[in-house]
Amino acid sequence: MKRASPSVASGRKAVFLSDPIALDSFSSALLGLLPRLRRFACGLSRDRVEADDLCQTTLERALRNRDKWQDGTRLDSWIYKMMRNIWIDEVRARNRRGQTFMEEEMGVAIGADGGQEAGATLGDIDRALATLPEEQREAVILVMVEGYSYKEAAEIVGCPVGTLNSRLVRGRDALLAKLGEAA
Amino acid sequence: MTPTPEQVAAWADGQLEGAEALAVEAAVRASPALQAEVAAHKALRDRLAAHFAPLMRQPPNLDHLKTLTGADNVTALPVRRARPRWVWLAGPALAASVALAVVLRPSPPPAGYAGSQLAAMLDNQLVADQQPGGARRILLSFRARSGAFCRAFADGASAGIACRDGQGWKLEGAGAPGAGSGEYRQAGSAQEIMQQAQDMAAGDALGPQEEAQARKAGWLAPK
Repeated sequence: MKRASPSVASGRKAVFLSDPIALDSFSSALLGLLPRLRRFACGLSRDRVEADDLCQTTLERALRNRDKWQDGTRLDSWIYKMMRNIWIDEVRARNRRGQTFMEEEMGVAIGADGGQEAGATLGDIDRALATLPEEQREAVILVMVEGYSYKEAAEIVGCPVGTLNSRLVRGRDALLAKLGEAA
Repeated sequence: MTPTPEQVAAWADGQLEGAEALAVEAAVRASPALQAEVAAHKALRDRLAAHFAPLMRQPPNLDHLKTLTGADNVTALPVRRARPRWVWLAGPALAASVALAVVLRPSPPPAGYAGSQLAAMLDNQLVADQQPGGARRILLSFRARSGAFCRAFADGASAGIACRDGQGWKLEGAGAPGAGSGEYRQAGSAQEIMQQAQDMAAGDALGPQEEAQARKAGWLAPK
């Protein structure tokens, strides 16, 4: 499910960016956040293609709404919130359409495309995460993977800190139970 | 005090303060069961973080780059893993692969060398300091196989490479006077220039610190 990219087609290796040329500060800042955004998208969604689509939608919306971002506030929280809301809308729309995620589609996320680090246990984590309710998964991802404080994570999700705390604990316990079985 | 699982998690994540933090800490210290809970919490956090870490090292999705840059001509050069990674984003000003550039020469430099304005930019401008959107930009700096410091630059619609020697900044390749020399030159596209830089370079592009050091040394190759 890899996307063909020009860099691959031309036989060159794709590389990461360090100093973008001729970009305004907003776009430059977003460029710097791209790896993190992609990681968050992978945490929210089920596979890499879905995650890249989610990133793409988020970037487009962010560029359209750039005047709504207040200079001096944290851009990462702003765009995480946007991505999270886009994802939740997508989940709701699928639920309305009666689509559900098939078990087989889950859990092949990171390792499949990730190269060297791919291993048997990677699939276990993806599969365990995929079984969590959205609200627990996002709490776990925001705190344990993205490293946000409970307060910041609660702000992104739009819930009280105590709620975030209890979702995190429930999600964590479910993961520990699943991974404990797998270990 | 018997802390709730929420309090233990929050304590393990460093989210508690003051009296509450102290109370949970005391309870954990007194209870092997709570210590195990904290250890499991931290182990899971480490495991999840490690699981997602490879994503941070992957090359970006080119569609994402194009969306952000508005440029179709996003091109990528190979670099070795241990070094900072670079991507070359050709700005809209460089979209034309062939452009005419007027070469301004207030005081004529030696033939085949950068004029004073361009030379000043090559001498002074660091990639790390550049303001977004400027027309005159250094695209990257590198060392040629001869050891000389070279810099790829873009100036309005043209782009080129210049390498420093004892006389000044010698223009190379597409930026140098070719068959059709004179006041007008055919400019290389940014992609061509990047390809050319790659062919000339003995190693990877200079990082910000290396660039700053090279500037300090007047861009003259260390003996």
